[in-house]
Amino acid sequence: MNNVLEMRKIVKVYPNGVVANDGVDFAVEQGEIHALVGENGAGKSTLMKVLYGLERPTSGEILLRGNPVNFRSPHDAIAAGVGMVHQNFMLVPSFTVAQNIVLGSEPTQRALLDKKKANEVTKKLAEQYGLHVEADATVDGINVGMRQRVEILKTLFRGAEILILDEPTAVLTPQETTELFLAIRKLVQQGKTVIFITHKLREVKEISDRVTVMRHGRVMGTLPISEATREGLACMMVGREVLLSVDKTPVERGKAVLMVDDLSYVSETGRTMLRNVKFNVYAGEILGVAGVEGNGQTELVEVLSGLKPAATGTARIDSKNILNNGPREVRLAGVAHIPEDRLTNGLALSASIDENLIIDRYFRSPFKKRITINYQEVISHGEKMIDEYDIRTPDGRLPVSSLSGGNMQKVIVAREFSSQPALLIAAQPTRGIDVGATEFVRQQLVQKRLDSTAVLLVSADLSEVMSLSDRIVVMYEGQIVGVFPEASMVSEEELGLYMLGIKRQEPSEMEANL
Amino acid sequence: MKASTSQSESVAKGFWGKALSSPSIREFLRVVIAISIALGIGFIITLIVSDEPVKAYSALLFGPLTKINRVGDWIEESITLTFLGLAVAIVFKANQFSLGQEGQMVLGALVAGAISLFVPLPTYLRVPFAILAAMIVGFLWGLLPGYLKAYLNANEIVSTLMLNSLAILLYEWVLTYYIKPPDAGYTASDTFSADGIMPTFFPKLPFLTDLRTQFIDQTNISIALYLAIIAVIVVYYLMFRTPFGYELRMIGANSKFARYGGINVKKTIMLAFAVSGVFAGLAGAHLAMGIHRKLILNISFALGFEGIVVSLLANNNPLAIPFAALAYGYLRAGANVMERSSDMSREMVLVIQGIIILLVTAERILPMVQRRIASQKPKEPTMDGQSPLGDSTGLAEGGD
Repeated sequence: MNNVLEMRKIVKVYPNGVVANDGVDFAVEQGEIHALVGENGAGKSTLMKVLYGLERPTSGEILLRGNPVNFRSPHDAIAAGVGMVHQNFMLVPSFTVAQNIVLGSEPTQRALLDKKKANEVTKKLAEQYGLHVEADATVDGINVGMRQRVEILKTLFRGAEILILDEPTAVLTPQETTELFLAIRKLVQQGKTVIFITHKLREVKEISDRVTVMRHGRVMGTLPISEATREGLACMMVGREVLLSVDKTPVERGKAVLMVDDLSYVSETGRTMLRNVKFNVYAGEILGVAGVEGNGQTELVEVLSGLKPAATGTARIDSKNILNNGPREVRLAGVAHIPEDRLTNGLALSASIDENLIIDRYFRSPFKKRITINYQEVISHGEKMIDEYDIRTPDGRLPVSSLSGGNMQKVIVAREFSSQPALLIAAQPTRGIDVGATEFVRQQLVQKRLDSTAVLLVSADLSEVMSLSDRIVVMYEGQIVGVFPEASMVSEEELGLYMLGIKRQEPSEMEANL
Repeated sequence: MKASTSQSESVAKGFWGKALSSPSIREFLRVVIAISIALGIGFIITLIVSDEPVKAYSALLFGPLTKINRVGDWIEESITLTFLGLAVAIVFKANQFSLGQEGQMVLGALVAGAISLFVPLPTYLRVPFAILAAMIVGFLWGLLPGYLKAYLNANEIVSTLMLNSLAILLYEWVLTYYIKPPDAGYTASDTFSADGIMPTFFPKLPFLTDLRTQFIDQTNISIALYLAIIAVIVVYYLMFRTPFGYELRMIGANSKFARYGGINVKKTIMLAFAVSGVFAGLAGAHLAMGIHRKLILNISFALGFEGIVVSLLANNNPLAIPFAALAYGYLRAGANVMERSSDMSREMVLVIQGIIILLVTAERILPMVQRRIASQKPKEPTMDGQSPLGDSTGLAEGGD
């Protein structure tokens, strides 16, 4: 009963009548890592905004170390030792790491920033909490993982005792995630308390001491981690049984849809990112591409989808080479593409949902009518997609930016799946989306096999590759180093050895299975 | 009784709440507030500078309405500004910062003027031919920086400014050596004959003669008025109802998305510059054949850049552009009156203009007000996500 923080009967009703929090009780013990999970829209972020002073609760009270508090703004929250690290980092890109950390309460020397002192403070903090940063690098030039550490240090510098981390791993690679978890444990050892918002259940099991599940603005329960199972948590979050593993009906594999031969790619900076890659994708199968990120998977997808030119080789669909013709030609040849980075490539955030759904077909009937676009058709097409793919929005004319991450991904999935492709290239199709949406996307992918679509699946999530694929190839340093004709017959450890480049198959060995 | 009072209060609140929740009304209020603040600051400056501040300032505020011919001047300039605003809106919508309207306009004026002067066709052929030629020249002069940007990745700000200089020099050279009559004392063409002038917008009907002599004949407002209205509708349809407009807007929203989706981004960008030039060329035809009715040196008075202001005031929305042009044209016309009828200099008005542009377009300043207003009434929460703050960061990511 050593609650450092207690939120009692928190109700938050937005002025338009949406009830985001409906009588939430939430308690955090001193020195624990408390995971807060729930689907997008469950009210996690609202609850944390209330705690951090960004939103005022409609009713309810907050007790900090037993004393009622009333935060009017984040300033009050910070003063009381509550800090939040947002999903979108709020750093000044042109400032150095140290300058960012001390921003707002800078050590000064004759009214000027004392850079030396700032660097010292930063280094000391970084050492104390095991969060490695380069104090004098500008934020512009550092990677996402380090930016996040800067954000955490910034919060600590301001005296946070309770840290709220809002989906901190969404932007991190697996290695960076491991590092982050180490740092979080160190924080807790030094007496800090961490609230960890996520929807990755595996991480909940790995890092947290207790977990609170929210759904529809209510708390469904708080469990010690020893009593929580991934299946159980998923069920609490979604409100029904969730299939974490996908049921796959076996499908007879058909003819080769895509035939890639001798494909190489050299980046603009002159690095060879793909070397003589050769493989086929067959109708009715999912070919999974496994590999540590940065071993050419991204480039493979970009070259095949027409976004980048190949240096050598061919990729044939129906004996027609699709390389180096640009995305329009590739799409017309029957390729659909779920891009790795949905915000960069997959969507125009400020454009409407309806308009995002027609980027690959606006120039064709029934959308194009003589010289105009038939917007009635665009809107009814949008309605159909919203309905069929369960995109949660009141109106397709709203901008995509009004959607949650999972629903943004559904917009992409709706567009790409509904184009009846012969080949579907899916790059990181479930990255950063919630359990319900992930299940949906995975089921749709498996479903696509039944229409004898060929699917090329690239994912950094090894368990996703293993559970969805029929066949797996492993990429290492731009080459295919192993092929496994029966995805279900290979172990994670075995794949790992190939991914790290420790083992590799001879080309002659692979020949028959590619 | 008491209950009904409070109810009517809440109804009133509901009305304002509703009005304020509409983004377009909020946007309108935002612009009105910005202009009011700018005018307030302007008056303070006038108080400091002028000996007769009230007279000077009322010349600025009401001057354009005091005489019929002044009203005419205002409308005519607003027509030019409308064409220019449309030209800018097209490129800006594609997120391309072309500043080439000046050059396109000047060359449009040159070609329209040359045809008006030298091509022996009757009015009903000569005028349309001249207008069409000006549009084509604008198109071609826009194609150039468009090609440079799209295929050679040349910065469009630099290239369009260079091409402006080039166009102006070309204009002066042709005017001085080929068009100016040898015996003329200053560098200008002959005044166009009636066959080469845009006819008045008001048909010479046998009735309503009084009305015409009293009002219409005092002004030079021409059929360009109708051209401007048509142009607004055309650009609106082009932008929001055609494949080209869709491509344009998707490129503007996220060019990587456009490319990923199969749009030929380079071609569309090049065409955006060119199509934009069509309307700048039209502005040039209007200058030559509607306003000055001859070719003179410095025919544009750097009007080309004012299209940017108009388009920004209108938030690049074609339907709002004529209103923005009228508002901005009014300010410019008022400036002329004030300059002529008081001890204030034109620079002073440029200062006020600058303040207005700053306040209306500096999107970082007034959204604070906007957000203030927004926080009084319903946000659109997707419970777990975007606050108004989150929204704007989301949009920022969409850029190139």
